[in-house]
Parts: sequence; C-alpha cells; structure tokens
Amino acid sequence: MIESSHSRQDMQYRQFGMHRHAYAAMRKQSGVRALVVALAVATALWAALAARPLLAQNVDPTPIPAQEPAAAAGTPVSANDINAVARQLWCPLCSGVRLDACELKACAQMKDEIGIMLGQGTQVQEIKDIFVNRYGPQVLGEPPRSGFNWLAWALPFIVLVGGGVYLYTRARAMGREPNPAPSVAAAPTSEYDRKLDAELKQYD
Amino acid sequence: MIFDVGHLLLITALLLAIFGVVVAFWGGHTRNVKLVASSFNAVYATFALVALAAVILWYGLLGDHFELSYVWNHSEIALPNFYKFAALWGGQAGSLLFWVLILTAFGTAVALQNRNKHQVLMPYVNGVLMFTSVFFLTLLVFAASPFERVAFVPADGQGLNPLLQNYWMVIHPVMLYLGYVGLAVPFAFAGAALISRKLDNEWVRTVRRWTLIPWLFLSLGIIMGSQWAYMELGWGGYWAWDPVENASFLPWLTATAFLHSIIIQEQRGILKVWNMVLIWATYFLVILGTFTTRSGVLESVHAFARSNVGVYFLVFLIIVVFSFLYLLFTRLPLLKAEQPIDSYMSREAAFLANNWVFAAIAFATLWGTFFPMFSELLTGQRISVAAPFFNKVNGPLFMLLVILMGVGPLMGWRHTSAASLRKQFVWPLIAMVVIGVVTYFVGRSIFASLGLAVLAFAAATIVQEYVRGLMARRATTNENYLVAMGNLWRRNGRRYGGYLVHLSIVMIGVAVVGNEFYQQTTNVTLARGEVVQLGGFDIEFGGMRVENESNRDVYAAQVTIFDTDSGKQLGEIAPSRNVYFKTPDMPTSEVGLRMTPIQDVYVVLNGWDDTGNSATFTIYINPLTMWMWIGGLVLMLGTLIASWPSPTRRRSETFSAVAYATGD
Repeated sequence: MIESSHSRQDMQYRQFGMHRHAYAAMRKQSGVRALVVALAVATALWAALAARPLLAQNVDPTPIPAQEPAAAAGTPVSANDINAVARQLWCPLCSGVRLDACELKACAQMKDEIGIMLGQGTQVQEIKDIFVNRYGPQVLGEPPRSGFNWLAWALPFIVLVGGGVYLYTRARAMGREPNPAPSVAAAPTSEYDRKLDAELKQYD
Repeated sequence: MIFDVGHLLLITALLLAIFGVVVAFWGGHTRNVKLVASSFNAVYATFALVALAAVILWYGLLGDHFELSYVWNHSEIALPNFYKFAALWGGQAGSLLFWVLILTAFGTAVALQNRNKHQVLMPYVNGVLMFTSVFFLTLLVFAASPFERVAFVPADGQGLNPLLQNYWMVIHPVMLYLGYVGLAVPFAFAGAALISRKLDNEWVRTVRRWTLIPWLFLSLGIIMGSQWAYMELGWGGYWAWDPVENASFLPWLTATAFLHSIIIQEQRGILKVWNMVLIWATYFLVILGTFTTRSGVLESVHAFARSNVGVYFLVFLIIVVFSFLYLLFTRLPLLKAEQPIDSYMSREAAFLANNWVFAAIAFATLWGTFFPMFSELLTGQRISVAAPFFNKVNGPLFMLLVILMGVGPLMGWRHTSAASLRKQFVWPLIAMVVIGVVTYFVGRSIFASLGLAVLAFAAATIVQEYVRGLMARRATTNENYLVAMGNLWRRNGRRYGGYLVHLSIVMIGVAVVGNEFYQQTTNVTLARGEVVQLGGFDIEFGGMRVENESNRDVYAAQVTIFDTDSGKQLGEIAPSRNVYFKTPDMPTSEVGLRMTPIQDVYVVLNGWDDTGNSATFTIYINPLTMWMWIGGLVLMLGTLIASWPSPTRRRSETFSAVAYATGD
C-alpha cells in the first residue's frame, strides 16, 4: 500500500538520517491516516446505505417487480403481487411476523385490502403509508426515521465511531508509553509452532 | 408424596449451595484447606440433589402425573414419550430446573478436572458458579416451582405447545442451554482471578477450552434453532431477529470476540481489562437472555411461558453488574498491558479491529432488541424493530468482519512488511474480483455480489493458508496430502481448526446471501394435476392425504417436482399441516423441502378444500441455503480440532500441573 519494500525502507531512513524509531513512528502515522480515512469513507457509505429508504427497498429480496405492480385500475391482481407488498409490511398484532407469512384473520384481511388497493392502482408507498396511519409505525418492522426513534438508527453508528476513535487514541497512547513491561508471552506457544513458523518462512 | 420429596430436594440443594458459596469464598480467602475441600463436596452434592429432582420431574412427566401443575400444563396422555421426556424444558419451571441441572453438571466437571490444579483460583471458581446456582435455585423454590400441585387431579393434560413438537425443537434447547450455561465457567475463572488478584495468564489459558466447548454448543444450538424455524415456521427464512433469537446471539457475539481477544492476551499481554469486560458481558447477556425469554418482558413469538420471575432476575442482574465493576476497578492497576501495539499492520491490530466490530454488532443488536421498550416508555408509541433494521445495520458490519477474517491471519504478529502483504493478498484479491464480477453477471444484484466477493476473499485466504501449511509439511516430511492434513490438524489444531471454523462462517455467509438476495417466491392455488413453474422447476400438486397420529391429524399434500427444461422428475415432497386435537385452531406447518447444494425447493401448504381437489401453496426457491447446515457441520469439526488436546501441549500441561502441585 503506502509502505515500500524492506530494502527500500532501510535505504530511506538512512538517507533521511532518522532514528529507526522516529522513522517507525512516522511510517505508522501515515498508515494510521490511511486507516482513518478508509474507515471514515466506509462509515459514511454505510450510513448512507442504511439510512436511505430508497436504496433499502432495492435491497429487498423480492425478485417480483414490487415497485409498480398492476398500475392501471381494473388490472387483475395476483396473489404474488399482494405478497410482494406484504413482504414489506409486518403483522401489527404479533411482533416479528412478516405480513406475507402471517396466518391471522386480521392479516388475511390486510392482504385482501392490499389486493383491492393494488387493483385501484394505488402505489406501494401509498399503501404502506395508509397502513402506518392506521396501525402505527409498528407495521414497518423498523423504527421510523423521525423524532426519538432516530436514536435507534443513530446510536449504533455513534458507538461504532466513538469506539473506533477511543481505540485509536488508546493504541497511540500505549505506543508512546516508555518501556512497557517486558513480556514472556511473546514467544511462540510451543516448540512445534516455532518450527512450523520457521518452515513456513522458509517456504515463503 | 414423591413430588414433595422433589421440592424438598430443591430446598436442600439451595441451602447446600448457599453453604458452598460461603465456604468457597471464606476458604479461598483464608486459604483453609478443609473449607476449600468442603466447597468441592458442596459442588458435587448440589449436582446430585438437582439431578435427583430432575429425575423426579421426569418420572412425573413420563407417568402422566397431572396433579403436578407443570405436567398438566405441558404434557398429555397421547403425547409421544419422546416429547414427554423433552417437556422437561418445554415450560418455565422445568427449563429453569434444566438450567440448574446443566450448571451444576458443568460445575462438577470443572471441579473434578481441577481438583488438584489452580489452588488459588478454584475455591472462587466454585464460589462464583455456586452463587449462580443459588440464584436459580431460589427461583425454583420461591417463584417457579416445578413441583407445584393443582387442587384436583385432572384426567388429562393440556398438551405440549404444538410448535415444540419437532425433533429439532427437542435438541435445540439442550444445545443452547449447554452453550449458554457453559459460558458461566470462563466467567467464574475470570471472577476468581479478579477476587484472588492472581491476574497473570493462568486463567486465560485455562478457560480457552472451557469457552470453546460451550461456544460450540451455543453455535450448534443457534444453527439448530434456525433449522427449526426454516422447517416449521414456513416463511422461507431461518432467522427473523426475533428478541429470543437475539438473546441467544448476543452472548455468542461477545464469546466469539472473547475467544479471539484472549489469543492476544496470551501472545502479547495486552487487552487484559477488555477480556474481563468481554467475559463478564457474556455472562451478563446469558442471564439477561434467560430473563427476556422467561419473563416475557419483550414481546416475541417465542414467549411461551411467563411468570413473576422478572423481579428476581433484575435484582440478580444488578448484583452482577455492581460486584463486577467494584472488582474490576479495585484491581485495575494489576491489569496493565505488558506491551504496546507496534503497528497497525499487525495481527494484534487486526484482532483489535475484529473485537471492535464484534462489540459494535453486539451493541446494535442489544440496542435494537430493547429499543421498542424504550420507545414505548418514552413516546407511548408502539414500534417494531425487526429484520429490516437489523439487516441494514448489522449487514455491513458483518461484511467488515468477514474482510477482517480474511486479513487477520495474513498479518504477522507485531508488524507485517509491505512485501509480505503483497504476496499474501494477490490470490485472495483475484478470487474476490472474479467471484464479484461473475456473480454480478449471473445474479444482477450489486449487494449480493459485494457480499459474495468478500466471502470469496476470506475463503481464498483460508485455502491459501492450508496450501501453504500442507506444502511446508510435505517439503520437510514427504507425507502424502491426507497424512499432512491430519498432522496439521493434530499438531497445530488451534490454528488449522480455527481456519476451518472461519471457513464454516464463510459457508453460512454464502447461505445468508443466497437466501436473502436470490430468493424467488410465488403463491398459487393448484387443482389436482395442475403445475406451477418457478425458478426452473415444474411443481405439480397430486392430491391430499390424511394420516392419524396419537395426538394429531396430519394433512399432507403430494407434490412432485420436475426439471422444467428436461422434464425429468426430481423428487416428491409432502408439505403438510398438523392439526392437534388439543389446539385445533393452531395448525403447525411441516414444510415440503427438496434440498440441494445449489438451491432448495421449499413448499408451504397454506390451505386446501374439503374434497382435497385443490390446495393453496406458498413456494420459495432458496438458493444456497443448504450451505448453512453444511457450515454447521464444518464449524463443529473445526471447533473440535481446535479444542482437541495436541500431543505436544498435553505434555507441557502435565508439567505445569506438577509444578503447581509442588510449588503452590
């Protein structure tokens, strides 16, 4: 990546007249910077993907065209069309059961209603909104992205990033502490491990 | 009469366990050999008493003693004996008894294995384990007694919950409990190290195997639970991020992180505080998980049993939190890292990142599981946090984890040179790109291809490591490939068994991607002899048949699967419904399944007309799902290899045991 091969490294730090440790620290920092940038990009990407309902719908596994089924009024609506919508909704009575798999009477009625609405040309998003209005956000299977419920989405990100920053600063602080206690554990765990590692090195 | 004895046994066990806790801590503190010996005996005796109580409950279940409220509520005369036996863990009081049975059995096994080892730690290990027993025995004696009577003797029981009458459901809780409860053992060692201030690597080395084995049980329990959900619940999937599923998954996450981070403590002497926190979190999540499943605090399809045990659990959880925090903070100076992290291009840094992501996933899962409760308390609005939330938040994190799984083993300890990195990464990166591009052109799903590409990368690093190991052995010993493989596993099981477990995770990941992104489904009503086409299969309905069992009727549809292109018959399946006499309005589903490594044809019977001439089905084509179960087997193999005592290490363990015995 950013680093050069071994022989060139040696040359470089001799050239700059730097002390080996100082060079190591510098080289470490550039590695760190790259790591931080990469992480920031990844986190931003993740946040964007997770928080946008538009993209999230694309993730939905339904291979049947779920977005615009039976657009014109009067078009016959198949059970598959209904299920494609039902897969995006959750039973309002039993938490954790997807509408298409729910066998309650109430859910059967909801599915019938979806069929009627699809037949009238109602869009999927509108159907979802109608059910949210009637039964509350429970039917979405995820917290709505508004008000207090934003916290459900935000906190995992905050913890992830906060944890990362904490780890990063701690690891750096650890690196600066002079003369850490010598360790006896650094040696390979067994004679065999050592041998194997040696063999592997040879093979490399 | 005999059931009064059962209750009396539990009371005696409780008193004995309290006695055991006192002598264990007191004996450990004063180094009084007699008190410590007494604590060992208390461990054995508690186990014997609890086992006897369990035998009495089994006697009640198998003998149809419906005067017991538990038997009346969870069994019936017509129930097959197999399920009568399993009904011990089918309800609340029984499953709590089962919990203590396993806990005391583990305690006894630990005590027997270490009777003459770890003299400083063992009294406290006994103490912590028995303290946990005290809690559960208190529940059994005061809040949820399995030996409670009903005022009259009913003629028949109410039957076992139909959903539980399935082979997987019999073995799945056993596995889960073995894993769950077993994770108390490493926590007990950690607690013992904190209390005794003997905070060197001794406890870490000892608990590795005591963590791996429960971890294996927990993993298998989770996979079997998924198998049950896949076969029984009939919605085409195997994991719904249901609160109870999450309850089993949370300790798995922290235990997995712990298994990785103790390697760094062993090798490099860092992360000592973190390891303490992780194993404590695991224990805490185990108790919390039992609490959420047993108290019904979170609504869930699994909430089979509810009662007034909630307050007891809360008190115990608070004790667990505060006693641990007190111990940790008073011992903090003894937990200083021995070395710094030298470079971000090192294996310890990769391990650190692995722990970071595991912790983040665990947090997100915990947060999502409990969020509806917070939300309802604060806003009064009911929301549900289900698969859409967890998939979006945890999905990318798992992908990051798979990348780290590939990267980690390629890094050396302390520092890896760029040249070595380049050499290590060439083949895995090629595999990643090829798989990503090919699957994109076949499947046309960017997310799925991204996932599969990352999985291919991780798989390639594992294969590369194996090839390298085999070549190295062959170069020096001239063994053939099979012998060389056997020797890799036997002599370096920790490493190569671990890789195998990684490979199994890749397989499970492949199944998840296949099921999540490439699933096809349809919903049809077919007349007899009619055919529906889906995903290259012709699926024909051949009529209904009814079978009468002792406690239910089975309505099965005869379904034949043909290959659309060749017209060849591929197999016959019988999706069916069980209508139980005791609960006719709760028919359970038995999915009709044709499984192949490429894809499953998965047929659910939704309904049928009285003549049996037509029936309604939901049909799923689930690509790659079988790899989840294959992955489960590989995971088992890998963990067994990783935990098998290696020939060289066993000798050194004997030496160290002798050293303890003579030096301590």
